[in-house]
Amino acid sequence: MIPSPVWQSLIAITLMVVIAYGSRVLGLMVMSHVPLSPRVRRFVDAMSSSVLIAVITPIIVHGDGGVRLAAIAAGTVAVVFRSPLVSIAMGMLCAAGWRWWVG
Amino acid sequence: MKIKENPTRLDIEGTWRGIRMMLPLAVFTIAFGLAFGVAAVHQGLAGWEAMLMSLFVFAAPSQFAALEMWHSPLPLLALAAVTLAIHTRHMLMSAALYPWLKALPQRQQFAMVILLTDSNWAMALGEYQRGERNLGILLGGGIALWGAWVVGTAVGLAFGGGITEPERFGLDVIMLCFLLMIVVGGNPRAAMALPWLAAAASALMAYWWLPPYLHVMVGAITGGVVAVLLPGRWLRESAS
Repeated sequence: MIPSPVWQSLIAITLMVVIAYGSRVLGLMVMSHVPLSPRVRRFVDAMSSSVLIAVITPIIVHGDGGVRLAAIAAGTVAVVFRSPLVSIAMGMLCAAGWRWWVG
Repeated sequence: MKIKENPTRLDIEGTWRGIRMMLPLAVFTIAFGLAFGVAAVHQGLAGWEAMLMSLFVFAAPSQFAALEMWHSPLPLLALAAVTLAIHTRHMLMSAALYPWLKALPQRQQFAMVILLTDSNWAMALGEYQRGERNLGILLGGGIALWGAWVVGTAVGLAFGGGITEPERFGLDVIMLCFLLMIVVGGNPRAAMALPWLAAAASALMAYWWLPPYLHVMVGAITGGVVAVLLPGRWLRESAS
């Protein structure tokens, strides 16, 4: 892979920093003027989890068996045991195991 | 039950308490940071790029999502859009803290949310509801998590390159599992099933038929719109 030019990376990271910090401050600024309506809250809340769903869906659908098994295992552990690290560890274990035995 | 409302405070003692309360979780955060460092090395990021991100962006979901898009030339617009969509969550979080923060001068309010992230927000809000008024809890929690995240990233970057076949150890699924865990582990609600299904389906179709990276925006907006269209009683008090 060709590494991206330094200036591009810097712009990209700066963008991320501005947006990441900006949204934290924006919440305060908006709240100090108008309370958010329940409708807006619901939209924002659903959108911020849907964006992650949108990122991972194609990875799972186009992944190998190991990736899919990892997703099922990690998702199940996350819902049942609510332990983030165990969830990730199980996912890795399943992916590694699948590739070890199945190929 | 506390009868008298304590005034908002911010001091060293409270900050230390926040740091100590967050230490157990910070251990896990080191592991996440390590995972990010390793993933960044294998995605071809320079060490300084990954380090700058962890130092200043300090948000695991958007950093992991950015890795996924880190191909030259960088899709800046798509990257900005995805980061924005992920961080709208933080807008709600800081808004929820406003009643607590409003006693401070505005400059201090803005400084307090620099290290605001999911875990210390949840911990601080829980303490607030139990009557805690010392904002050091929020700040200290943030400091502990930030330190752990940066240290973890550094360790991951240092040793990640030594692993030649990341797939054999399942290292390539770290990002996937992390994002999945954030979504379903945070606050699984039956009412979100429909918006999430819509988001997944529309994202997949956009992934197949639309230009690269648009699928993330399509899925995010679809999920948001479906949630708004659902009958209100299904989702009452959905945003915390």
